[in-house]
Amino acid sequence: MIIAENLTRVYDMGKVTVHALRGVSLTIQKGEFVGIMGASGSGKSTLLHLLGLLDKPTEGKIVLGGIDVRTLNERQRTRFRLKRLGYVFQDYALVPELTVEENVYLTSMIRGTSKEEYQAQTFQILDRIGLSDRLTHKHNELSGGQQQRVAIARAMVNKPEILFADEPCANLDSESSRNVLDLFKQINKEMAQTIVMVSHEDWHMEYFDRVIILRDGQIVSDGPPPEELLEKACKYK
Amino acid sequence: MLLDLRVSFFLALRGILRGSRGSLYLTVLIIAMVFTNMIFMPSIILGFIKVAEDQIITYQTGNILISPHEDELYIEDVFSLLEKINRIPGVLRASAHYGTGVTLRYKGNSLGSTVVAIKPDDERLVTDVYRKMADGDYLADGENDEIIIGIQTSGHKDESLDMGPTLGYLKAGDPVTVEYTNGVRKVYHVKGIIETGSYYADQGAYITWDELESVFGRKVDYATDIIIKTDPDSYEPEVKTQIYRFGIREKVQTWQDILEEAMGRAVQNFAMLNSITIVVSLIIAIVVLFIVIMIKTLNSRRQIGVLKALGVEKSIIIHNYVFQVLILTTLGIIVGTTLVESMVAILTVYPFQFPDGEVTPVVATSDLINNTIMLYIASFIAGYIPAWRVASEDILTAMRS
Repeated sequence: MIIAENLTRVYDMGKVTVHALRGVSLTIQKGEFVGIMGASGSGKSTLLHLLGLLDKPTEGKIVLGGIDVRTLNERQRTRFRLKRLGYVFQDYALVPELTVEENVYLTSMIRGTSKEEYQAQTFQILDRIGLSDRLTHKHNELSGGQQQRVAIARAMVNKPEILFADEPCANLDSESSRNVLDLFKQINKEMAQTIVMVSHEDWHMEYFDRVIILRDGQIVSDGPPPEELLEKACKYK
Repeated sequence: MLLDLRVSFFLALRGILRGSRGSLYLTVLIIAMVFTNMIFMPSIILGFIKVAEDQIITYQTGNILISPHEDELYIEDVFSLLEKINRIPGVLRASAHYGTGVTLRYKGNSLGSTVVAIKPDDERLVTDVYRKMADGDYLADGENDEIIIGIQTSGHKDESLDMGPTLGYLKAGDPVTVEYTNGVRKVYHVKGIIETGSYYADQGAYITWDELESVFGRKVDYATDIIIKTDPDSYEPEVKTQIYRFGIREKVQTWQDILEEAMGRAVQNFAMLNSITIVVSLIIAIVVLFIVIMIKTLNSRRQIGVLKALGVEKSIIIHNYVFQVLILTTLGIIVGTTLVESMVAILTVYPFQFPDGEVTPVVATSDLINNTIMLYIASFIAGYIPAWRVASEDILTAMRS
């Protein structure tokens, strides 16, 4: 479960002060697939970064899995990210010198999992996403959609409590995007995986259980995807 | 900690094996050149010193030199002293020298030089000059009117090989006039020409002790110095101590003492030159590796940010780059050592020609070890700083780069 209370993030950029988030509070239950949406500059990525412990709020409190993350030092935050959170980024961010399987099991190695175990886990998850025949391929031998699926496998291999995805379809064509979103939905349903995903594409809403819409750093809507937007999205699709 | 290092090494190895081949080869080549530079210069200096040592022992002073006491001109009662010295454990043979200034004349050329009177049978057991006759033969005990002359005094057929004034290509069998300081002027038959490769030995001229006595017209029982050959298994400073224990009051010096006296300053200068070379080489290594790792880390800033976001510790990222540098350094040292050994092999066959002889580089194991350690330390610093700088960046700043 994620609890955020009164999250504020202010950036000092020389003479200009930017209020990226203004007192955002929310609760996300285990197993929810939540979409954070909004226009560019609305604060959706900032919110994801704060919830995913990639940044610290100027004010406010975050509780992840019962732990108030303000009590964690830098090293503990790193360990927390490694052991309990998963991330998927817009540009896949695979390590170019590593093969598909090495990219997937890297974090398992760091966690101290035995070689036999992490190799088995890696094969299992890559098999699940249909890339078990690409174990020894490098990132530049894969399509964008395949790379993003590898990134999802990397995020999922350690069975994180929460999976954060920052516009994971932004660089993909619509077919690949749909494949990735289908995969997210499948993971969410079959494994009760909590997923928090930032998106600016209205048609992604049909995949979310809940949509949080931000504007100017504040939540303006929080609930199931609005019917009218879903209809619009279907037309667009 | 061990697990983190294992992951760092895993990433480093993949980074090197699957990174840019061109950059890898160039970096290794530069480190190899730096290492070669660090090793080669001292090896030449060491080779030079080795030549000086060999020549001092083989052609000039033997292992130990006895000179007159500082208040005296000669070593008196030299033949009974020689008998005494020859009985000292560790001494193979002692040979007396009497050196006197002369003027040599040949076909209108004249040259100031030193003629050394020797007992040829003793001398053969102490120095190797007798093996280095370029023309004619060595002296024999009891010979009169015969002289042997070093090639730097007699002169080469090809004048360009002469390093100073000579008598103008004097050969075995030629007559040479020797004028002594006591007024005696005598024509000698040149029995042989010496060519040792040592400039000092090749400048000399030798006559027998009997000839000296005939020139002086009396028995000569004093010498200007005594040279001693020691047993190869004995340690010269110990033999020197033994000599003093036998009650000899003359000045006794081992070849190390003589080398220190003659070349101490030069050796110090060489050492300084060597240190400068090493420092410059290390700075080059640090700068090159720093730039290589700086470029690697700057190009991977986003990657580093992502790894940190995934929960990879900063130390793992830093150690990854440090390992990369250490691997590059290891490869550079291997290539560098191979280069040095190849150059040493070539220069053993085709040595450098110096006035004091042929110089072959001598690679000291201690130099190899010391320079390897220094290069590893320099590499560590050069890899650590840029990696630390980039890995210390805030995650989002790195990811947005």
